Amino acid sequence: MFEWSEEHRMIRDAVREFVDKEVRPHRDELEHGDMAPYDLLRKLYRTFGMDQMAAASFDRRLAAEEASAGEGSAGEGSAGASRASSDDEGDGGGRSSGFTMLPIIELCKCSPGMVTAMGVSVGLTAAAINAKGTVAQKRRWARDLLTMEKIGAWAITEPSSGSDAFGSMLSTARRDGDEYLLNGSKTFITNGPYADTIVFICKLDEGNPPAERKVVQFVLDSGMAGLEQSKPLRKMGLHSSPTGMLFLDDVRVGRDRLLGESEDAFTGRQGREASKATFVMERSGVAAMALGMIERCLELSVRYAKERVQFGKPIGEFQLIQLKLAKMEVARLNVENLVFRYLESSAAGVPMTLAEASAMKLYAAQAATEAALEAVQLFGGNGYMAEYEVEQIARDAKVLQIYAGTDEIQVTHIARHLLA
Amino acid sequence: MHVVVCVKQIPDPAVPGALDAYNTLQREGKLILDESDSYGVEMALQLVDAAGGGEVTLISMAPNGEVSGLRTALAMGAAKAILVSDPALAGSDALGTAKVLAKCVERAGGVDLVLAATESSDGYTGTVPAQMAELLSMPALTFAKHVEVADGKIKIQRQTEAGYDVVEASLPVVVTVTAGVVEPRYPSFKGIMAAKNKPVDAVTAADLGLADQVGWAGARQEITGVTQAPARQAGEKIEDDGTGFEKIVGYLEKLKVI
Repeated sequence: MFEWSEEHRMIRDAVREFVDKEVRPHRDELEHGDMAPYDLLRKLYRTFGMDQMAAASFDRRLAAEEASAGEGSAGEGSAGASRASSDDEGDGGGRSSGFTMLPIIELCKCSPGMVTAMGVSVGLTAAAINAKGTVAQKRRWARDLLTMEKIGAWAITEPSSGSDAFGSMLSTARRDGDEYLLNGSKTFITNGPYADTIVFICKLDEGNPPAERKVVQFVLDSGMAGLEQSKPLRKMGLHSSPTGMLFLDDVRVGRDRLLGESEDAFTGRQGREASKATFVMERSGVAAMALGMIERCLELSVRYAKERVQFGKPIGEFQLIQLKLAKMEVARLNVENLVFRYLESSAAGVPMTLAEASAMKLYAAQAATEAALEAVQLFGGNGYMAEYEVEQIARDAKVLQIYAGTDEIQVTHIARHLLA
Repeated sequence: MHVVVCVKQIPDPAVPGALDAYNTLQREGKLILDESDSYGVEMALQLVDAAGGGEVTLISMAPNGEVSGLRTALAMGAAKAILVSDPALAGSDALGTAKVLAKCVERAGGVDLVLAATESSDGYTGTVPAQMAELLSMPALTFAKHVEVADGKIKIQRQTEAGYDVVEASLPVVVTVTAGVVEPRYPSFKGIMAAKNKPVDAVTAADLGLADQVGWAGARQEITGVTQAPARQAGEKIEDDGTGFEKIVGYLEKLKVI
């Protein structure tokens, strides 16, 4: 694959038009006001029938899973039974992965935070429930998340646990009769302030040392007693993605909220495989985000280089400006090729390895940040002003090197694979 | 209810156009759906929905078997298309185009309503729909800003400078719709996937029995020259010395705006 198919281009053009007409006019409110992205995301879903496609795909898969469970060949909560972001309609993974990637790329040309809000709700929260939940749990929570009817948050990071997410995790679940009591604080939680459904990741406290405790996950609903969702945190960028803190003080839950209804759902090989699949999906999504940002930087920079006149000629005639444009184009081509590689491997039914996905994310995130900073430089004083879009892209791009695993974590995953 | 929509596929207006040796627009590259036709497509889909059934057929005349613009309209929900693509069509004038489209309407069969834009975004003659109606012996209702169909009749609000006239006719009929008559939908992802497999009936001028009546051979119009539009003149600046408003009021009165 070296270019988008005709079908892909039609989707790209339609989404691009939607972004220009429906999202871009709200850029200021999303960036500098208090506008949450959810109504626009729901409109996107409704407009393109993404909600109906997601619901139909979910219903099909769940029916198949139930039929399979009825035959006794697969138990509830079988890993990977339903992938949240994939809606393959029986037409090959590459085609449907493209349908997922294109809205990400096009939205990132205007509002990358919207992609983060959407990705965390659909790609992480719903995916976690679909990967490990029972049929009843999927039906109860995942379907509404996949259609964007409800908004999800995936709560793993804590004030003292970031890259070392599980090693330093302090949040706990304690058995209390047939129920559990949940306690802990979570931070940097995308959609945290407004989420209807929260997957809360913690450790089962059986009186044993924290390092030996099992990881368990619970599904919570907004408004439960003892659960507090903070207001949005102020951030450097990604303003259209509300990020917040969660505080749990003796939140009482039944076993029906324990993901997979098993305390061992996330232990052993199955647990690691589920995490790996999540990381691969998340990191490939970041590469698509990077592509959208680089494409936008290039588009704006080329236009500006032609229009901006200094020393009596357009600045595009100066070689130092040409160098910046050329570097952006190289980055665009490389990241686009990485995205195409992901689509190709999906189409071939060969999932990317974690190391590959990490390499893809590492390169794409750095390329986007560099391209955005170069774009700011090319725009000079104007580029530093909020009025010019490159200022926002530069602030937004930086997070790609931090979330979904920092650059440093990607390096360790790549190196571990090479040295194994 | 069977609605036919005339759909023109034009060079992307975002890309600077070029003329060929005969002063006609070069149409060699990818063509897109003329935005002014997207209103007709949307109107047709809504009318069929309101009628409780039926289908929308697209008709188009384009070089090189181009279907990109048609696919967009099919993705919006049209059921099928007739595409006339033939080197012999090059140089067709408005009447030649009307003959081709009229034959397409006949080919579609059992048509209740033919919709078209008031004019295309590249040619701007605005005469094809009325010529087509004449060839089909159908009434032509033009500049519709609102359309209702009931009991075998159509009632439109015809846009005028002062407001609108209400015009009625019996079906079948040719109607031109103004931009903004409805809000064209975005094609859904499912619609885009389905569009690929929707039937496009590709025909030539000869298939329509028009071999000698179209193209340069049949054209009664000739483009004798093309000149650049005059540059926009600078506006009049009014320095406000305290009576500036009087000059502005006088100017607006002269324009009969107030």
